[in-house]
Amino acid sequence: MDRMNDDRMKDEPLSPALGAALQALDAQAERRAAEVNVERVAARVLERLRSGEVERRRVLWMSPPALRAAAAVVVLVAAGVVMNLADHSRPPASLPLPASIPAMDSLSARQLEAVLDATAQLKAEADTEPLAPSGASLDDLTEDQLQTLLASLGGAEG
Amino acid sequence: MGVPLPAVAADGDLIARYLAGEEQAATELVRRHATALARYIASQGAPDDELEDVTQETFFKAFRALGSFRGGASFRTWLLAIGGNVLRDRRRQWRRNLVVELTPEIRDPSGDPGEHADADWAAERLQEGIGKLARLQREVFLMRAQQGLGYEEISSGLGITEGAARVHYHHAVKRLKAWIG
Repeated sequence: MDRMNDDRMKDEPLSPALGAALQALDAQAERRAAEVNVERVAARVLERLRSGEVERRRVLWMSPPALRAAAAVVVLVAAGVVMNLADHSRPPASLPLPASIPAMDSLSARQLEAVLDATAQLKAEADTEPLAPSGASLDDLTEDQLQTLLASLGGAEG
Repeated sequence: MGVPLPAVAADGDLIARYLAGEEQAATELVRRHATALARYIASQGAPDDELEDVTQETFFKAFRALGSFRGGASFRTWLLAIGGNVLRDRRRQWRRNLVVELTPEIRDPSGDPGEHADADWAAERLQEGIGKLARLQREVFLMRAQQGLGYEEISSGLGITEGAARVHYHHAVKRLKAWIG
């Protein structure tokens, strides 16, 4: 208290006009403050604190933002891995060529053209429906596809 | 039901009780400090229809942050400092919403009308001047001149040095003197 009185002695003194204005302002503020319903303030504060507590517990239980972000990354990575695996299980769109066609070098231009037509058909099918897993060979072709291929090869030779 | 509160429990005891889960302690703290807080906020120019809401928001924030209250300043000073921050945030909202009526029109029907008109004019003029001060000047001035707090207490509450609090007060008084005339 003495310390405060010392402080007051050293303070920049208020002029009479400023002192009177401060007194008037304080009286006004006091009247306005008296209008505040203290019990209502207390009740509302407690109400908000209670609901805030429930919210906080729920948020903690659900996950803080960082944990949610981490979970989202895990889900995205997992989805990527699954998609990647699914993609690898399909014949690559650019490589549907049966691996066991022998002596490609010896084919004539027409034969090659026929092979390309047949593979284009395979590719078109691969793009629209799932095909047998990778390692595609002639064994994977349907009867119609084989016939088309053989016919074109035969026609090209004959 | 908790243990009945003693007639005059210290703020520190009430804070400890509240943190231990006793809601009644929070109610008691609100009863004890709400009017002083509202008076401080009103002096800074909070509109009438916002005064209770700002008071409530200040207590809400204070109770939520009570775990971080270290007791460097008294609970009331800490509360006033939070009130100043809440008011500053609200002012930004009010400005955005173009609510500009910061000076209340309060008339006391008793006494000499001329005298009251002068007092009201002086109060309004001072409030306008206070509104023109920098935030720390305004808060230090009101904590010191209106709430009667010491510099040590003010500096702890506002998180500034005692020397800075003195300087802010000095400049605030000089500017307000010039403003009031």
